[in-house]
Amino acid sequence: MGLVGIERLKGIVGAENVKDNKADLYVYGSDASVHEAMPSIVVKPTTIEEVQSIMRYANSELIPVIPRGSASSTSGHTVPIDGGIVMDLKGMNKILEIRPQDIYCKVEPGVIDDDLNRALKPYNFFWPPAPASSRIATIGGEIGANASGLRSVKYGATRDVVLGMRVVLANGDLITLGSNTRVTTAGYPIERIMIGSEGTLGIVVEATLKIIPLPKLRCLGIAKFNKVEDAGNAVTNVISNGASPSMLELMDNIGITAVNKNLNLGLPDVAAIILFEADGMIKESVDYEMEKIKNICEENKGFDIEMSYDVKERSRIYTGRKKLFASLSRYKEGIICTDLADDMAVPNSKISECAYMIHEIAKRNNVIMSVYGHCGSGVIHTKIMFDVTKKSHWDDANRAATQLYDYVHSVGGTTSGEHGIGLSKAPFWKKEKADSLNVMRAIKKALDPNNILNPHKLQDAPDDWVTATKLRYIAK
Amino acid sequence: MKTNHLKEWENELNICIRCAYCFEGCPVFKELGWEPDGARGKAVLAYGLLTGELEPSEYIAEKLFQCSFCRDCIERCSANVEIPDILAAARADLFEAGYVKDSQKRLLDTIEKSGNIFDKELEAPNYKGEKQVLLGCRLLERKDDSKKYLDLLEKLGVKTKTFNESCCGMPFAVLGDKKGFKAQQDKFRYTIPDRKEEVICVCTTCVFFIRKKYPDLKAKYIIDEIVERLPQYKDKIKKLGIKVTYHDPCNVARGMDMVDEPRMLLREIGAELIEMPTNGKQAECCGGGGGLLVSDDKLAEKLAENRVEQAIETGAEILTTLCPTCEFNLKNAAEKYNGKIEIVNLLDLIYEALN
Repeated sequence: MGLVGIERLKGIVGAENVKDNKADLYVYGSDASVHEAMPSIVVKPTTIEEVQSIMRYANSELIPVIPRGSASSTSGHTVPIDGGIVMDLKGMNKILEIRPQDIYCKVEPGVIDDDLNRALKPYNFFWPPAPASSRIATIGGEIGANASGLRSVKYGATRDVVLGMRVVLANGDLITLGSNTRVTTAGYPIERIMIGSEGTLGIVVEATLKIIPLPKLRCLGIAKFNKVEDAGNAVTNVISNGASPSMLELMDNIGITAVNKNLNLGLPDVAAIILFEADGMIKESVDYEMEKIKNICEENKGFDIEMSYDVKERSRIYTGRKKLFASLSRYKEGIICTDLADDMAVPNSKISECAYMIHEIAKRNNVIMSVYGHCGSGVIHTKIMFDVTKKSHWDDANRAATQLYDYVHSVGGTTSGEHGIGLSKAPFWKKEKADSLNVMRAIKKALDPNNILNPHKLQDAPDDWVTATKLRYIAK
Repeated sequence: MKTNHLKEWENELNICIRCAYCFEGCPVFKELGWEPDGARGKAVLAYGLLTGELEPSEYIAEKLFQCSFCRDCIERCSANVEIPDILAAARADLFEAGYVKDSQKRLLDTIEKSGNIFDKELEAPNYKGEKQVLLGCRLLERKDDSKKYLDLLEKLGVKTKTFNESCCGMPFAVLGDKKGFKAQQDKFRYTIPDRKEEVICVCTTCVFFIRKKYPDLKAKYIIDEIVERLPQYKDKIKKLGIKVTYHDPCNVARGMDMVDEPRMLLREIGAELIEMPTNGKQAECCGGGGGLLVSDDKLAEKLAENRVEQAIETGAEILTTLCPTCEFNLKNAAEKYNGKIEIVNLLDLIYEALN
């Protein structure tokens, strides 16, 4: 970026809120994905007016703008593939209003999920998406990715608990979307389109979030299985038989081994486990749900099922689950966990088959792939683990990802359940959505005619993720 | 720039998936707020140096030295990536390429010359018992306190033996002077009268560092010794009836996994403990470690102020801790707050309760 541009941005947010040193740009060029690409400048606005001024300037000069929260994104959502301005929104981190009487709160985009839930707790409310990264994930980032998590099986994803928002458009205009009410009708639900748009349609500068009464009781169960497919069948049957778990997670032996090795968690060394939770206001109702889920697990060859109301034990197990992703890098010497094929969702009846297929495809392609995820809501995660320093292994990984998504699409599943598309899942997602990409392009064009907001992502992302950007690893 | 030291950490840098969980408790990130201030950002900078995508610069050196090695990042990291060790390697490569500040050089020269971090000859109080006790630079300089802590051990039945100490070499290691460290390691090792016998260490930094870098030595932390012996002296303990908050030194809580013992000791001496919002393994660092006091003294001071403010908010009259460097840094910061809280070493409180 030229000197004039830098000075202009400094004039908007103050020199102390602008970074253009190469070292800073290098750091802001990556997230939790395999991609990296440097921006031209990083700015940190703290007010809506500053965001508007930055957008007006960028739009007039046709400079890309990439909004960024904590950048825990797994597929390169925040990697500035065309350079431009990275807008670090972590400075806009105020909880503006908590209104339990109206069952909503208003927050700035940089508020951290766990911080919000800590603030809601005294009111006996919570905000439920609970991604595993909730300790660092910003609300803006969760909206961008339509994040969900451990409790999505009962409370839904981000899209289900955002009532409205204020958004700065590509031209700098500020618009208000949605409402403060629990129901609304008439007109296009643009706020719902913004959720999951990965920063390609506007900058969310304020969000109105639906809050949920905090249950008084939570009970956690662990069921063991000798086959991952049995665990998958149990998940399917829990959901289709009308049980109402507040969490229903599956973890295979690769995941179990990794967290035990790394975090000394002492999870049972079996082919797979299901972690299930029920919550509620009275013990009888929680016990009823837990018993129902336990019986279904047993009917599906689950054994040694333990259940506990103990808060400490629950917290220990949740910590292990939330730390699974990075722990996988310690699964085996010389093998690194990459965020490839990290996320998908399949119809409820296909959980077992998908779990089996993941292991099969891994074997076929000489890579390691774990199976875990919020399977109760259909979300399955894996990671492709291989020696990232060898070029030929990247071919194996690419082939495995392609085969896996071909399978997922063949059974009516979708490319991403909750992590989003970014760059590395875009080729597969574009294949899945082939007949609606032009509609999405039309929406993008209407809201961002100059294509400056996080360009070349989603429907406009390159067809080959391997060459889309430089990879963050050095492979020979 | 040659990256011989960083090269050894290439696999660990690949293991880091850049998930950002290490943001959560990083005191430097909390204070400065930009990505390169947090642990993930620093790991990415180190990776850039290793791959040659980044050329070394004063700015990169500044960023990589702006870390107190508090180990909070390791505590949050799902893959246990040893970020401080990676940064120490990056610092070593930078040091060898000439990226060293005058303030850092001054400290290292001082240790080379005088054998301790102060520019003067320091002698331990003369105790001629059987059990070797290492005081560490900071306590050698506080002679009255050293005597007090040795007397505390004597009261608990330990026949202490002091010796002519030399610095354990930690500042060389954290500031990246590998050659200096090697030389100081030899000096330190040979000052210990009997290297096959246990050495009771009073300084938290020394004991943590010796356990890590001198596997041949048997370093025992003074708190372990006290915890073992105190039950026999239970009837001699005077209950102090004070309200305190406790600052967990990073090397104690996260480094040596010691969270309960200091709290148990506080209960034993009749101190009411009011915890700060972050405590135990999640405790926020005061900024005293990792060479930050010489690399960026203003930042170290600001981090200590943040911690003192948290302590004042508890309503406690005393902020107690165990690490002499934390104590030093917190005391300096507390001066700004007009006596709202007093900084006292926990060993002083135990001594008082036994007196």
